Amino acid sequence: MAIPGVHLTRIGKGNFLLEPLRSMNIRDQGTLMQDIVAQVQNAKGVLLYYDLHDLPVIDPVYYDWLDKLARTCQAVNIRMICINMQPTAAFTLSKHLAGKPAFEIALGVMD
Amino acid sequence: MAQKKEASEKLTALFGLKIGNISGQLEETGREFFCADNRLMDEDEVADLSSEFVQLISGLLGSKDPHKRTTPQFHALEIFFSGLAQRMLMRGGNVEDVVRYSQRLQYSLISALERDSGIAFTQSRSVLLYFAQLFDELIMAIFRTYLSERENTLRAQEEELRATSTPITQIWDGVLTLPIIGTLDSSRTMLVMEALLSRIAKDHARAVVMDLTGVKNIDSQVSHHLIQMVRAVQLMGSDAIITGIHPEIARALVSLNIDLSGVTTRASLSDGLKEAFLRLGIQVSHKAS
Repeated sequence: MAIPGVHLTRIGKGNFLLEPLRSMNIRDQGTLMQDIVAQVQNAKGVLLYYDLHDLPVIDPVYYDWLDKLARTCQAVNIRMICINMQPTAAFTLSKHLAGKPAFEIALGVMD
Repeated sequence: MAQKKEASEKLTALFGLKIGNISGQLEETGREFFCADNRLMDEDEVADLSSEFVQLISGLLGSKDPHKRTTPQFHALEIFFSGLAQRMLMRGGNVEDVVRYSQRLQYSLISALERDSGIAFTQSRSVLLYFAQLFDELIMAIFRTYLSERENTLRAQEEELRATSTPITQIWDGVLTLPIIGTLDSSRTMLVMEALLSRIAKDHARAVVMDLTGVKNIDSQVSHHLIQMVRAVQLMGSDAIITGIHPEIARALVSLNIDLSGVTTRASLSDGLKEAFLRLGIQVSHKAS
């Protein structure tokens, strides 16, 4: 079942790739989180890659969404790894980030 | 108004003349300036330059209103002088030569016209004033070009300096090193951070070793920037390792209450590289004899 605003693709045994689309509405966080986690969980997924490739800036609102999604994933034993963070996004986020984020970070999908 | 009309009439009369033949006289001026000692142009180029100038000035003086500074004819003349200034500066000439050449061109033009037309310009203030104003404007165009060329040179030098002050090197596949030497102020830290993050994205670097051996002083703002840089590197998905922290810097970091708990530090650059290799599973060993 397709989730509006995101592409969620299975990329290996237990691994999923989440690509946010421009139409994703993070104001409706509750439903969105629930749908994403449900779909990964139903497929017995353990790892969720969140692709930040198209995101030039991560502001506090977007960071809050990432943080909540990561904590929701943790609650059901799914690891969330943000990948392909852009230099501009890393720069802006490093400015207002206090402490370690709830999600893991990697350069790209791990081998 | 009457003066302007008088000048226009005189100019129209003047440029009813065939002035193509003054090109040779203007060439002499060009040769004197550009072909003599400094050899900025060859004789053919000077000949082309003079005939182009004669064409353009004929176009302007033969136009409806030669006093107007918004006509395409005047604009073409302006571009001619800007281009000349640019060409001379690129060939190592200086702006003074171009300005002096323009002034001499003005005198040569006036005397050539005076001779050809039989009108004594020395008794006609309006014509002299017209040429003085026209050439003043053209000299302004030369200066504008000179300033913009200088600005371009300074910008290029700044870029070069920026690149050399942040020598980010890929020492191994996926391992970047960044030796920081000299004073680390806020603006430089920002430049380093910008260059480093772009390089991580480009090279897909998994570890970055930042060597502070050459940094002697650090202040509160810079230490915060440094930590921000480490955090940004980590957010890109790379491991940041800081090496070569001097005891004075360590003491400053502690007294500034900088939290280094999330930062990997090593005593020297070689230790930092070993740590980076270890994290990437790279083993470097002596060749078995």
